[in-house]
Amino acid sequence: MPPRIPISSCQSQLLRNCLDHAPSFSLSASPALASPLQSLAAPTPQCSRSFSTTPARPATRLRRRFLEWLDNKGAKYRTPRGPRGTNYVTRPVKTGDIYDDKMPFPNNTLFRSEPVLSDRARELIWTSVMKEGMPLKAVSAQFHVDMRRVAAVVRMKEIEKKWTRENKPMAAPYAAAVEAMLPRANLSSGENRFEPINDIHIHSYTMQQLFVPTSESREFTREDAAKAFGDYILPPDAKMRIPELVQLEKNRAAGMEPEQARAAFIKSAAQSEAAFATNQRARMQAEEERTTRVRAGRFEFRFEEVNADDTGSTGRSRKAVGWRYGVPFYDRKRGQVKIPTSVE
Amino acid sequence: MVVKIRLARFGRTNSPFYNIVVAHARTARNSRPLEVIGTYDPIPKKDLYDNLGKLHKDIKLDMTRAKYWIGCGAQPTDTMWRLLSMVGILEPKHRPAAAVSKTAQATKS
Repeated sequence: MPPRIPISSCQSQLLRNCLDHAPSFSLSASPALASPLQSLAAPTPQCSRSFSTTPARPATRLRRRFLEWLDNKGAKYRTPRGPRGTNYVTRPVKTGDIYDDKMPFPNNTLFRSEPVLSDRARELIWTSVMKEGMPLKAVSAQFHVDMRRVAAVVRMKEIEKKWTRENKPMAAPYAAAVEAMLPRANLSSGENRFEPINDIHIHSYTMQQLFVPTSESREFTREDAAKAFGDYILPPDAKMRIPELVQLEKNRAAGMEPEQARAAFIKSAAQSEAAFATNQRARMQAEEERTTRVRAGRFEFRFEEVNADDTGSTGRSRKAVGWRYGVPFYDRKRGQVKIPTSVE
Repeated sequence: MVVKIRLARFGRTNSPFYNIVVAHARTARNSRPLEVIGTYDPIPKKDLYDNLGKLHKDIKLDMTRAKYWIGCGAQPTDTMWRLLSMVGILEPKHRPAAAVSKTAQATKS
């Protein structure tokens, strides 16, 4: 507690002297405090309040070090970064900081957005798939965008173009505003890879340690490892989304020309996609053949042929047709996840 | 005892779903039947990506078993008769309303 001066001895001149000598930054720096000082210079014999006349303490070691830091390392925190960014000490700033644009809301530091595909990038994907007729797998591998995302982009772009043809109003300014707020990926060369495309799900059975005796002469492949882990465990090559990339790398390692290897990759990708489409068509065809359509009145009745013997030996098989007897249904139970898994 | 081909109501309040069952006539509606030969979803559905607005109802049915039970003398209820006649397992039932209108036309002419 600094010593107090009684009101009677509250001399303005004394006060001014004290304040002038005080090397206080806040007082000397702020012009707002200048006017009270001016008014204090006027002869005011009576003060209603007591003022501390203790001179401000000289800068502490901490403060001195703070000022030093502000001149050197902390200089980059003096000004905010960009028109919509903050510059807090709590967030590390490096040269070429990748977190720079990841925060669309400067005051919500907890929300860091991952980069999104810009409109240009989406147009690029759509052009490669729909105009150039590239297989989805090849487009995915070229731009390092997940195959599901490539498919989704194509679908959304198709809808967008359809709406444009139909002169439907679109919320373009809104889309542009949101896009401007988020970090974007243009999929141009030199950019970071957008996302991993060939990640596989790790089955918990494959996380255990196994000791499998095998002869030295035998080649123990990934297929064998999968078999050792369990009957239904697939090898990684069967699990990955674009297994053709493995062959591409093998071809490259074998010394094939890059262009040739790429052509072979695109060809095999197209083949696998064509096979998938054929399978899907066959499945739909089989389903159509199982179904009898009868137009009766307002509605069409679709009779699908099923097998009543699918009930199994106990009569409780999950494949059995119809609502099951003698088993509890958890769809109304508390704590069960009732979020629909498909949108129709 | 009479064996019937009938519907057993499952599903929830305001969302009915029926099992097409073969059961003894005097057993409770939802008791364990002799056999479940199909399902009937009475709520009209739309086709995905179909904007024509046409509605359809889905029925699953084991036609072979249905024919077998009819051959055994099982008696379908009216609703089941209507459904079975759609796929040609049974002759459509005589419809009194239609008959009345026919006779009315006959008397007019």
